[in-house]
Amino acid sequence: MKTIPVNPEQSPLVILDLLFKLKIKDVMSSPVITAVRKDSLRTVQHLMRDNRISGVPVAERGRLFGIASIDDIIRALEGGYIDDPVERHMTTQMVVLEDDMPLSFGISYFEKFKFGRFPVLNKENRLVGILSSRDVSASLLVELHNEYHKLEAKLPVSAIRDVNTVTRGFRVERYDFENAGKAAHAIKKILSEQNYPPALIRRVAVAAYEMEINLVVHSLGGTFTFHMDPEKVELLAVDEGPGIPNVEQAMQEGFTTANEWIKSLGFGAGMGLNNIRRNADDFDIQSAVGRGTTVRATILLPTGKDAPPQTP
Amino acid sequence: MIKELSVEALRCVEGWRCVQDACAATRVEEGFTSDLLSDIMANAPAQSVLVTLQSHLNTVAVASLAGVRAIVLCSGREAPPDMLEAARREGIVLLQTHDNQYQASVKLEAAFRSGCVGS
Amino acid sequence: MKLEAVVGALKCQVIHRGGNFDSKDIRNVVASDLMSDVLVVDKDHLLLVTSLPSDQTIRTSDIVGAHAVLVVNNKTLPASMVALAQEMDVTLMQSAVSKFDACVMIGKLMNPP
Repeated sequence: MKTIPVNPEQSPLVILDLLFKLKIKDVMSSPVITAVRKDSLRTVQHLMRDNRISGVPVAERGRLFGIASIDDIIRALEGGYIDDPVERHMTTQMVVLEDDMPLSFGISYFEKFKFGRFPVLNKENRLVGILSSRDVSASLLVELHNEYHKLEAKLPVSAIRDVNTVTRGFRVERYDFENAGKAAHAIKKILSEQNYPPALIRRVAVAAYEMEINLVVHSLGGTFTFHMDPEKVELLAVDEGPGIPNVEQAMQEGFTTANEWIKSLGFGAGMGLNNIRRNADDFDIQSAVGRGTTVRATILLPTGKDAPPQTP
Repeated sequence: MIKELSVEALRCVEGWRCVQDACAATRVEEGFTSDLLSDIMANAPAQSVLVTLQSHLNTVAVASLAGVRAIVLCSGREAPPDMLEAARREGIVLLQTHDNQYQASVKLEAAFRSGCVGS
Repeated sequence: MKLEAVVGALKCQVIHRGGNFDSKDIRNVVASDLMSDVLVVDKDHLLLVTSLPSDQTIRTSDIVGAHAVLVVNNKTLPASMVALAQEMDVTLMQSAVSKFDACVMIGKLMNPP
């Protein structure tokens, strides 16, 4: 199951605002594709395949009896009972959402119950929709896009047009080695274009890459942000867990919790945090088990007469 | 090009420090440089000297399986106590150096060539 | 030491010939399979010798500004690694020799007797 890339407790205000403003019914998929109790599991399998969905509620005239998931189908195929009626094998212990609840409830349900989808009922207990993590992600992206345009319209133009100030955010997923390093590469490019000395660029790039790698190797996923103004580069990695039980220990060179698979990729030698601190002028780490870790590294840029010549 | 050498001779390589020498009389015949345990297990030749960064108990385990007779830990890595103990048990010589793996490999080959023999 | 000398001595196949290949001067060599280790290297004019053929090898080389990557031990390079080397313009070479032998041969090129 994919988790929602939003933490209801730690997200920016604009997202929290959206989570309360949006109702489940604004986000859910509707109408729902359903099966009836006498349908065979094979019929359900075809429904899933044809509609590219991973769960089918079993309902008749709006009354919900159960839900069949892809796991149920796989078990049926293995067990050789794919032609049985769905009612004999569906899940009847269900957690349901109500269509008038704010979306934040839906998100906390995904966290709490570890189901991939929830049937949505109205006040009259009739099935009106289904909410999957995909629905939530997709609608949040659309809403954030709208919100972003509204916010941008309010900003003074100079704040976002200033060429010397750059802010960029990157989403970093757990074990996604393929994309780790993109942020570091991007910031390296920006600094190179502005003619900063190679040794300084390397410090920034190495610290950024180590932070990205840490998110990939050790976190459940998070965001990496860099902010650059004429005086400094600020690197910020914020993850969604699991948190570090003993930060002092984690800072020791050679201490690592990486598994053999990670080590076979050439990472996880227990040098990352130290290397970030070594390359930064200012370094800070905060961590809480069960909540997550925030690492901040600042590298000062040469200013005044030491500033690099700007190419027009 | 490479002659065999007494492990004892590795002591006299400049900048190398022997931290476990229980079986210094063993003969070694070639070098192998790697930091990947799977690679060491699969490819390190018997009677060889392993040049590596991996200062870990498991390095001794795979070295022993492959028949490696000495391990050179590079870039200032220090063998933890459990690694020293395992090396002593397995009869594997352990050396430490601030050289990186490239520099250590070059020095090791020079030692083989000159046949620098310790006492 | 010029990259061309390495290509000749180690019978390298040049997978991607980056910009300024001929003029680049190698003054430092790092032979490591652990990218975490490479990331703490603080040297310029660098040649990275590794037996780890991965995308991360290219990214790490780009980040530390290495002049070239030499993959030894006759490893098969994943297509994604080659594509990334081209995209980032990181010189990528390949050789069948072992890492130990590669170090020894490069050592002789760097410090001729």
